[in-house]
Amino acid sequence: MLHSFSLVRVNIYEKAFDNTPFADLGIIKTMAINQTTQCESDTPLENTSNAKNKTYLPGDLAMWFFILAELTVFAIFFIAFAVTRQMYPQMFIEGQAYLHPVAGGINTIALITSSLFVALSVEAIKRNAQSTAKYYLIAAIALAALYIVVKSWEYKQLVDAGMGLSTNTYFTLYFMITAFHYMHILLGMVILAAMALKTGRGGYLGQSLSGFEAGACYWHMVDLVWVILFALIYVIQ
Amino acid sequence: MHTNSKKKIIISYLLLVVLTLISAMFAEFAHAGTFLSETMIVIIVSLIVIIKGQQIVDIFMELQHAPKLWRYLMLSYVILVPSIIAAIYLIF
Repeated sequence: MLHSFSLVRVNIYEKAFDNTPFADLGIIKTMAINQTTQCESDTPLENTSNAKNKTYLPGDLAMWFFILAELTVFAIFFIAFAVTRQMYPQMFIEGQAYLHPVAGGINTIALITSSLFVALSVEAIKRNAQSTAKYYLIAAIALAALYIVVKSWEYKQLVDAGMGLSTNTYFTLYFMITAFHYMHILLGMVILAAMALKTGRGGYLGQSLSGFEAGACYWHMVDLVWVILFALIYVIQ
Repeated sequence: MHTNSKKKIIISYLLLVVLTLISAMFAEFAHAGTFLSETMIVIIVSLIVIIKGQQIVDIFMELQHAPKLWRYLMLSYVILVPSIIAAIYLIF
């Protein structure tokens, strides 16, 4: 309770002084660090009755608009894929025979586990367990790297079998959609690495966590897209 | 600020893994002499995607306690997109 109260008070001070000339004096930051390091505990902030009744959007609004825009682009791809599949069912059945459902399954588990570690790192950083949060982020990046390795292997198998962007409509769509997602994974890894570095040097101590939450939500969005993609490309035939 | 407990996050993760394994089973085995019709597979797989999406949105993204507009926007995405894909497969 005391822990939560202190954090809430620090946030109020931060917000109140953020846009004033006093913000540069470093007083607020010092106070925030003192308050937060004093009361590191396992008690999540939700235990306050106040926090339970209020709604709270994690991250910042700009990131949510970005996520919506990204999801819309992917939705258009998904629907285009489904419609084209109905137009050329035989081509899609033949194309799908070249894919490796086990590789798709491994990648799904890798991304879901990676998202788990990112969610745990958010939980850890909110109770000021800085190094735990950092290690969770590193684990998430390692799993993303596993995804990249498996997906690259799958691309190589297809290219070795003579398949490419221009083979037919199925492979054009397959490569376009999965490569677009692949690039999102790479960008997500850069974001997670930046978050891990900042966490490692104590950059979030007593500071707003909205950047951390925004990065985490971006990663969950990439995971969400893959969950739909996995069903669309590997499962439904 | 809202924080999900570790336990809640891990339970959600386990549900996601179980649902993924069920989906993977369909991808691997269901098509060789399947006991389910194609229609049933499309419906089951779409429902699995919707449940997985809801878990990611509510628990991982922590939107369960977010303003309703954002939560409903994201939830409508994870319900509508798989439903539209399923409709395209089943109707056309």
